[in-house]
Amino acid sequence: MTLALLGQGLAIGLVNGALYILTALGLTLIYGILHIVNFAHGEIYMLGAMLIYVLFVALQWPLPLAFAAIILLAVAAGLAVERGIFRGLRGQWMQLLVASVGISLIIQSLSWIAFGAQEKNVPSVLPGVLIIGGVRMPLERLAAAGVALVLVTGLYWLVYRTRIGLAMRAIEEDEETARMLGVNSDRVAAIAVALGFVLAALGGAFVAPIYSLNPGMGLEAILMSFIIIIIGGLGSITGTVLAGLLIGMLQSIGALILGAEAAHVLVFAAMIAVLVLRPQGLLGRA
Amino acid sequence: MKRFSVPLLLAVLVVLPFLAKPYALHVAIVVLFSVTYTAALYAVLRMGYLSLGHAGFIALGAYACVILSVRLGVSPWLGIPAGGLVAGLAAWGLGALTLRLRGIYFSLAVFAFGEIVTAFFRAFDWFGGPAGIPGVPRPSFFGTPLASHFAFYWLVLAVAVLGIGLLYRLQFTRFGATLLTLKSADSEKLAESVGIPAARYKTAAFVVSCAVTGCMGAVHAQYLLFVSPQVFTFLTSTDLLIYAMVGGLASFWGPILGAGVLTALGEQLFSVGYWKTLVYAAILMIVILVLPGGLIDLPRRLRARARAAIAAPEVR
Repeated sequence: MTLALLGQGLAIGLVNGALYILTALGLTLIYGILHIVNFAHGEIYMLGAMLIYVLFVALQWPLPLAFAAIILLAVAAGLAVERGIFRGLRGQWMQLLVASVGISLIIQSLSWIAFGAQEKNVPSVLPGVLIIGGVRMPLERLAAAGVALVLVTGLYWLVYRTRIGLAMRAIEEDEETARMLGVNSDRVAAIAVALGFVLAALGGAFVAPIYSLNPGMGLEAILMSFIIIIIGGLGSITGTVLAGLLIGMLQSIGALILGAEAAHVLVFAAMIAVLVLRPQGLLGRA
Repeated sequence: MKRFSVPLLLAVLVVLPFLAKPYALHVAIVVLFSVTYTAALYAVLRMGYLSLGHAGFIALGAYACVILSVRLGVSPWLGIPAGGLVAGLAAWGLGALTLRLRGIYFSLAVFAFGEIVTAFFRAFDWFGGPAGIPGVPRPSFFGTPLASHFAFYWLVLAVAVLGIGLLYRLQFTRFGATLLTLKSADSEKLAESVGIPAARYKTAAFVVSCAVTGCMGAVHAQYLLFVSPQVFTFLTSTDLLIYAMVGGLASFWGPILGAGVLTALGEQLFSVGYWKTLVYAAILMIVILVLPGGLIDLPRRLRARARAAIAAPEVR
């Protein structure tokens, strides 16, 4: 393998990693508050991508309007799911997890019925390729990764510098005490779920021009996200970021050497290695 | 009445093939597959762990059997225990790693495992690649291959009864009773403080569950006559979970009831596809939100309601 090829692999890995992080962070956020992993996350990601196709390609809305609509819908869906389903099951992690699997199956099967199995493609918004020292990078991927980084930074700011973030961290630390001190944990949970849904939907929306879209794409996304949060440590934002970059690079370089399917096995092997050596994840608490 | 229900059920299962048409027998075979898988899944659920990738163990058992018999020419009879062995070994490794962590780690890791198993078989042509491996031989009984539904039914029934019987017996041993103490974090600590190696107990239960699943997976592949990465997917895992939850987790028979009813209905009503998933998932949500005990809890609920109505007549 030449050096240029390695550089190419690393560059793709970094960009993919940034997109993985965006999706996985929504899971981390919800896990911190509800202590469940939202299985429907991948389906929201898929819907984000599909809505870009429907609004931007089929209905020809301007792109900013399509994004605004997606964010609004994600917030509405997050609030509805939290209020209607998650809130009544809080504290019962198994029922919560199964309920989120149920939601995921309902969304997925409805999407197969509505969108069909035919792959959908969103035309490139930013054609062009950036070439630096023999490494070629499509501008579109670069832009998507850049926006992902901005969003991740914004999330850090939200969690560590605002009152609502303080409330989130307080609930994560000790929900009972936080409630006693006047934190409205239902409202914080609703905000966290809505925010998680927005991150998932945006993650899907950004990759819409990069991949072919079908209703099964959420499963692939959530597989990667799960492996990332296991490696990074459940509930740890910095761990998610670190693991996302790591997995992105491992997968792209693995795919260059072994092929795309075998790279999956490599990523899984990395997860097993972390479970053996550091079961709570890179930055997780035991 | 209760005492006779199991012998009665067995008698029905034995008489059935002599009366039923081939299509009904096909439904019976498919029901036996999912009932066995679901009973195996229940052995894990019962100790407070949620497996979201049991289909991965079905696939491992199926592929182990198929590769032995198609690629290496080993007798299909040997393929069945081999399927159980391979699935059990994988469960041992994965369980030893994840069952000492909180339940959610186990669920995520098993889900990832289920997805990776199919990705693995898809990645290598020797394992059939995306198209899978056709031409899986069925075992022969004294020189006669079990080619018809009628003949194959007996093999499926035998493995199902053995597997479910093993899982049922295990519940009422000291081992099975100990597993119940590991259900919550607090009682698990208590159990460990009196010298019970909790992680090892849980791993052992997980291995038994997956070994039964793997044996049945091998038989399943022989029934289908082929295996491919598309047969045992995430949707298979969630189907099993739905059967168990809809049936109810309070008793061993709940998941079996759920699997029996939903598989029999699903096999008749929906040829294939998304409508089945949609209806199953909708039933699941209704059960979780409205009837947390599942179908098996329904008679008790109705009785409790009737009793409450008698005890407290309406005040005017």
